[in-house]
Amino acid sequence: MIIVQERYRMAAVVLLLTVLHFLLRPFLGDVRGSPDLLLLALLVFAIRARPGQAAIGGFVVGLLVDALTPVAFGAGALAHTVVGYLAAWGKALFFAENVIVSAGFFFVGTWVRDALVLVVGRHMDQSALFWQLAIWSPVKALTTAIAGVIVLLLFRRWLHIRVVT
Amino acid sequence: MNLAPDSFASRRDTLAFVVCLILSFAARLAPPVVQETAAAAIGRTILAPFLFLQEQSQVIKASRGRYAQVIGLRDSVLVRALATTGLEEENDRLRGLLGLSSRLRVRHVSAEVLHQSSPASGLVALLSAGADAGVTPKSPVVAEQGLVGVVQTAGADRSVALLWTHPDFRVSAMTRDGSVFGIVAPRGSEGPNTMLLELRGVPYQQDVAPGTVVYTSGLGGRSGVYPRGIPIGTVLAVGDEQEGWARTYVVRPAVHPAAVGHVIVLTGTTVDVGDLFAGDMR
Repeated sequence: MIIVQERYRMAAVVLLLTVLHFLLRPFLGDVRGSPDLLLLALLVFAIRARPGQAAIGGFVVGLLVDALTPVAFGAGALAHTVVGYLAAWGKALFFAENVIVSAGFFFVGTWVRDALVLVVGRHMDQSALFWQLAIWSPVKALTTAIAGVIVLLLFRRWLHIRVVT
Repeated sequence: MNLAPDSFASRRDTLAFVVCLILSFAARLAPPVVQETAAAAIGRTILAPFLFLQEQSQVIKASRGRYAQVIGLRDSVLVRALATTGLEEENDRLRGLLGLSSRLRVRHVSAEVLHQSSPASGLVALLSAGADAGVTPKSPVVAEQGLVGVVQTAGADRSVALLWTHPDFRVSAMTRDGSVFGIVAPRGSEGPNTMLLELRGVPYQQDVAPGTVVYTSGLGGRSGVYPRGIPIGTVLAVGDEQEGWARTYVVRPAVHPAAVGHVIVLTGTTVDVGDLFAGDMR
């Protein structure tokens, strides 16, 4: 009964983040640096899921991203699959109750996703790739990490996550 | 969902991961037609309600931000429209006297740009108008300041535009007086916020001064993609030189796609549209 309740709560948080991702997009400023709530939904899911489930979740999110930006179809699916799997696999190592470490978890997840999409997609020249990974992806990773910490603090009871500030 | 906050991967997890990886590679290596069909199908089904939300959100933001600007624009257009009726009648009379056919009309579709968070979103843009509104592939996409890109695929109610930042983007260009022609292509990034274009293939003996505005040439006639007269950008400096043969000029683009929220898709493109960009072609 408790597990079923937790599943519904997790689904509600993921759905909320997905809706907010689209609803708030026009108001979040420059798209290159604004938080990626869809990826955040995947990372939050990965915290409580098994690696296989997180990989499947990542694949689904990646396909959605590829459909939204069909410049290199499949690159997003691959990147999100890897990030989802590694996030769920490595959470025991990297995810802690400390808020700074949690922010780092979201930061690294976002930056690695961006790097994989761009490297696998091979659609940017070297200079554009450099500036994207050196400036814009870290900015996006930072804003996503801040949003992630806010989500964890708001929903820690629902998600059964202890966050020490 | 099996809650397992601290467990490492089992064989089943690894298998699921490998299957997802194989499917991802298959999607990446699939023929473009299959990729486009899959993307359109996902956009029409799972993503449709979310994109509807984003479109409404974008409209609300744009409405608030542009209200005063639109009122001002409407008034100036109204004043110009008052003088247009007489000009049209005069034009029709003169065309009749000369035996010319009537001037082709520019048709257009307004669309919101639905920006996405993918790192590749600077290369393509999802537009809120599709085939139902008259958008077809290869329709030019323009903003108030100039050329943004070209429609790549058009679904029923959404379309995807290839932006000028995409490595595959090319457009035939000319200077205002039509004396210099070349091909404009993306040059790459000169900084975190500076994407540039370049004007290629300009004959060596033809000099283009910095500050010269570059427009679409309209070459290609009825089968061409871009009509004549859309501002592309401004020449900054000479980029590369093939001694005695040709020069490449660095061009600052007229439009930065990341800053555009609203665009116009031109669907009747075989005419000169220089008049639409007030003052630029005069």
